[in-house]
Amino acid sequence: MAAADSPSAGLRRRDLCSRGIRLAGKMRSDVMDLLDTYVEWQGLDASASVAAVEGVPVAAVERWDEQTGTQRLLENLAAYRAFRVLLAQMLEEQQEQLGEADTALGRALAAVLLQVSAFTYHLEELLQLESRGTPSEEVAVPAPPSQLGLFERKLRGLGVLRELAQWAVRSARDLRQLAKPSPGISSAPSPDESP
Amino acid sequence: FLVSGGLVQSCGHIIPESPVLALGSNFTALCILNESCLDFGNIYASQIIWKIKNRVIPKEQYREINRTVSSVTFNDTSSLATPLTCNILADGQIEQNIYGITVTVGLPPEKPKNLSCIVYQMSKLTYHMTCTWDPGRHTFLDTHFRLKNRWPQETFPDCIPKDVNNSCTITDVQFFVNLEVWVEAANALGKAESDPLVFDPIEIVKPLSPHNLSVNSGILPTVLKLSWENRISAAVMKLKFNIRYRIVGDTNWIQVPPEDTASPRTSFSVQGLRPYMEYVFSIRCMKEDGVGYWSDWSEEKTGVTTEDKPSKGPSIWRIIDACHSSASWTVRLMWKALEPYEANGLILQYEVTVRPKSPLSGPPEKYNVNATNLTLKLPNGTYEVTVTARNRAGASPPSFLLIPAINSKASVKNLKTLPKDGKLWVGWTAPNNYVLKYVIEWCLVSNNSDCIIEWQNEPGNIQGTYLKGDIKPFKCYLITVYPLYADGQGNGQSVKAYLQQDRPSKGPTVQTKKVGKAEAVLTWNHLTVDEQNGFIRSYTIFYKTIDGNETAVTVDPSKTEYTLSPLTSDTLYTVRMMAYTDEGGRSGPDFTFTTQKFGKGEIEAIVVPVCLAFLLIVLLGVLFCFNKRDLIKKHIWPIVPDPSKSNIAQWSPQVPSKHNFSSKDQMYPEGSFTDVSVVEIEADDKKSFSEQDLKPFDLLKKEKSTSEGHSSGIGGSSCMSSPRQSVSDSDEGETAQNTSSTVQYSTVVLNGYRDQTPVQVFSRSESTQPLLDSEERSEDHAGGGDSTTQKQHYFKQNGGQDETNAGRPFLERTKQITSSNEGDLVGFAQLQISGQSSQLLCLGLEKNEEPALSDVLQTSIDGQTLRPETVEENPPSVDDMPKSYLPQTVRQGGYMPQ
Repeated sequence: MAAADSPSAGLRRRDLCSRGIRLAGKMRSDVMDLLDTYVEWQGLDASASVAAVEGVPVAAVERWDEQTGTQRLLENLAAYRAFRVLLAQMLEEQQEQLGEADTALGRALAAVLLQVSAFTYHLEELLQLESRGTPSEEVAVPAPPSQLGLFERKLRGLGVLRELAQWAVRSARDLRQLAKPSPGISSAPSPDESP
Repeated sequence: FLVSGGLVQSCGHIIPESPVLALGSNFTALCILNESCLDFGNIYASQIIWKIKNRVIPKEQYREINRTVSSVTFNDTSSLATPLTCNILADGQIEQNIYGITVTVGLPPEKPKNLSCIVYQMSKLTYHMTCTWDPGRHTFLDTHFRLKNRWPQETFPDCIPKDVNNSCTITDVQFFVNLEVWVEAANALGKAESDPLVFDPIEIVKPLSPHNLSVNSGILPTVLKLSWENRISAAVMKLKFNIRYRIVGDTNWIQVPPEDTASPRTSFSVQGLRPYMEYVFSIRCMKEDGVGYWSDWSEEKTGVTTEDKPSKGPSIWRIIDACHSSASWTVRLMWKALEPYEANGLILQYEVTVRPKSPLSGPPEKYNVNATNLTLKLPNGTYEVTVTARNRAGASPPSFLLIPAINSKASVKNLKTLPKDGKLWVGWTAPNNYVLKYVIEWCLVSNNSDCIIEWQNEPGNIQGTYLKGDIKPFKCYLITVYPLYADGQGNGQSVKAYLQQDRPSKGPTVQTKKVGKAEAVLTWNHLTVDEQNGFIRSYTIFYKTIDGNETAVTVDPSKTEYTLSPLTSDTLYTVRMMAYTDEGGRSGPDFTFTTQKFGKGEIEAIVVPVCLAFLLIVLLGVLFCFNKRDLIKKHIWPIVPDPSKSNIAQWSPQVPSKHNFSSKDQMYPEGSFTDVSVVEIEADDKKSFSEQDLKPFDLLKKEKSTSEGHSSGIGGSSCMSSPRQSVSDSDEGETAQNTSSTVQYSTVVLNGYRDQTPVQVFSRSESTQPLLDSEERSEDHAGGGDSTTQKQHYFKQNGGQDETNAGRPFLERTKQITSSNEGDLVGFAQLQISGQSSQLLCLGLEKNEEPALSDVLQTSIDGQTLRPETVEENPPSVDDMPKSYLPQTVRQGGYMPQ
């Protein structure tokens, strides 16, 4: 926390939070566009319901408003590291499936992957500002079962993107909560700011 | 070279092999000979010759390291070239090449500078980042540039420029994370990196402009609503906007205040527009906080505001034609169509009202007109004319014009024009009175067309304006400015002007009006206004002789005639004329003329005196001949005396009948006289005779008195029949004695005519002795009657002529007598009768000798009697005369003796 007390650390945190919020917003926007593209490319129904996918972090959380800032950051970091792996898998599958890399879907997936990476960087920087250090890179994302059929993989991808969109919304709120001038980021947010 | 195993083996090699060298550095190359060649060909390092291309490198740069190695050193690689060869001078001085290398000289890359990047939005989700930099100096080597970029924890693939070395574009751009960017340049001589840039790409975005712009008119005629779509997600960046608009046809854009559009939006209502006006709109955007770049302007879209009432009435003016009738005018009302910003809509019609003013009366006349003019015939007077324009939204305020009876108000002063900015500016000094507005009339002055009046209104508070029309250069415009007052209008002031002047299109055609000896009057016509192309400032006349220098004379442009002087006489001159405007002059055609040889009056001065002299000479000759006619006649037509007319012969009383000399036959009935000598008898005052010629009227007067005193009837030829003689007849001896005492003696010479032998010659005697013999013979003759055969006679000279000329005027006869007397002075006999009043006609002929005496002679016309004044000096003798004188029954030429 010592670092967070310095003015420059405060500015740095606000800057990171601000850009993280906007990045989350853009990420959501791009993920929404990507969902449309994905549904179209994969021949899926946009209204198809997808059951919870194993290994995909869930944005919804109980008592969100009671979380501390560090807790939020850590949950976000874990989620986006998982999304980074999942999206990389999806990109690889998409390239294998379509046989070419430079497609609109591929470009969109790569762009979202980059944004997820960028957001992960933001979270790591914020955690460093909190003098928390970043947890190890190991992410407990199970590799897609090889026995999954093509359709299941498409649906899994759809679930990943939908959850990512949810996380983008939550992350923006988390960072907005962190950006508020407060005695400490560990303080609990007010109830009205819960997602 | 050695042949080994079918391959040609070199006898040596150079190290380094094909080096890349820094320009300006030093360089050493070694040529190493193979040992095998030493034995085979007796080749040693001392025999090595280094060459650059075909140029031998100086030996000073060589160094023999051992017997197989030779080195060459260059202190500056700039002197190097390709190839660098190692050669050997073998036996027989044959130079053989051992080995060669290619040397590449260049520079290491400089550090790239001025790196900058822009993120271009390519589509809604696509962004490309283009970075540019200064690659530095040319390296002469193949230099590779790489744009490197990375996040703090992630490095991205390098961007490698294509075809250029100063820019590269990254296609995957992620926002909201700081990106570190730098440029690396590398070639064979080294590597250099630029300073890194660290930025969030979202800060350098140039977004796509909004699209699908639409313009919709609202309820108000001054508002248009714009709508558009943004092509950048609000999640990426919030935008602010610039909106600009302009009237169609106008080039100047008007911008909506930026603070009104500084927030994200997709529509905006533009206010303060003009009614019924077509506007063009365009919009652009950028990041709301102003960080980054403005997008390009969007495509333009137009919209039209709704109509409103015309904002002002049309400008109105008139042309009054009062020529046709003195009682009424033909008034042509003209008004200008409103400008679009004034009309505020489509003008449907104009409403014209003509209201007579005092002293005229009557209701106002109203006209609805679609055109912009109206011609009315109005009685003389003052009228107030109003014009309103009407569109769908309503009518304009009225425009007023007072048509005055007379233009008696003050006019503008100091009217002047000035071409400025391609337009014609008109300025004036305002009158002292308040001017409502000004009307500026102008028209193009041309020979080919009428003066079509154009006009414009200007407010009364200005003193200059540009003419609003198609003012052409090189054309003359007549500009008139009228001040309009509330109660009338002022007199118009006019000025001529050109927007731009040029040289005249032709020069004046000069010709001579009159050519003299030393001057010539030139005349020309003014150039027409279409030919002038400007104000004619001056004329210049150039004239020269064929071989002379050209002389120039500048002439005032108002003149059409000029006298060239002085010129050389009888010389061919070529003259031409240039007309000058402010922009230059142009010459007219050449005209030649020749000056005259003689000046005015010179010929007359020569000819007239010559003619006069000739005439004078002729006249003198005539006079001379006339005066000398007797002499001439004598030589040409000598007088042939007629004996039959001898006075002596006539004197015989017995033969009075013979004195009929009416014809020659009668004069010479017997034809016996072919040669005649003449006796001329002169009175004592012989010179008085000429005076008689000059004073015939005196003679007439005298004749009267003479007739009183002596009776008339004494013939001119009656030399011997004077009264005195008549008296002496009765006293014959005494008379004869008296006479002989004064009469000169003469010898009558009978000259023969031409070849004829004269019968007898009388020669004049200067003796004053009495002519006794003659007297005696005369008496004899008288007594003897008609003794015509007698050789010696007194003949009256020209007696026959006298007879024949009896009826002619005395003066003429006198002259004849005078001439004959003058021409025959030699054979002239003067008979001077002292103290006698009467004298023979033939007397007094010598007027030239004593002209002073002529005035004492008097002549009697009837009696052809010459009576000298001396007669009066002897009154007693005169008194005696009537007593002894018998009036003769005179036939001319003869006396009847008493």
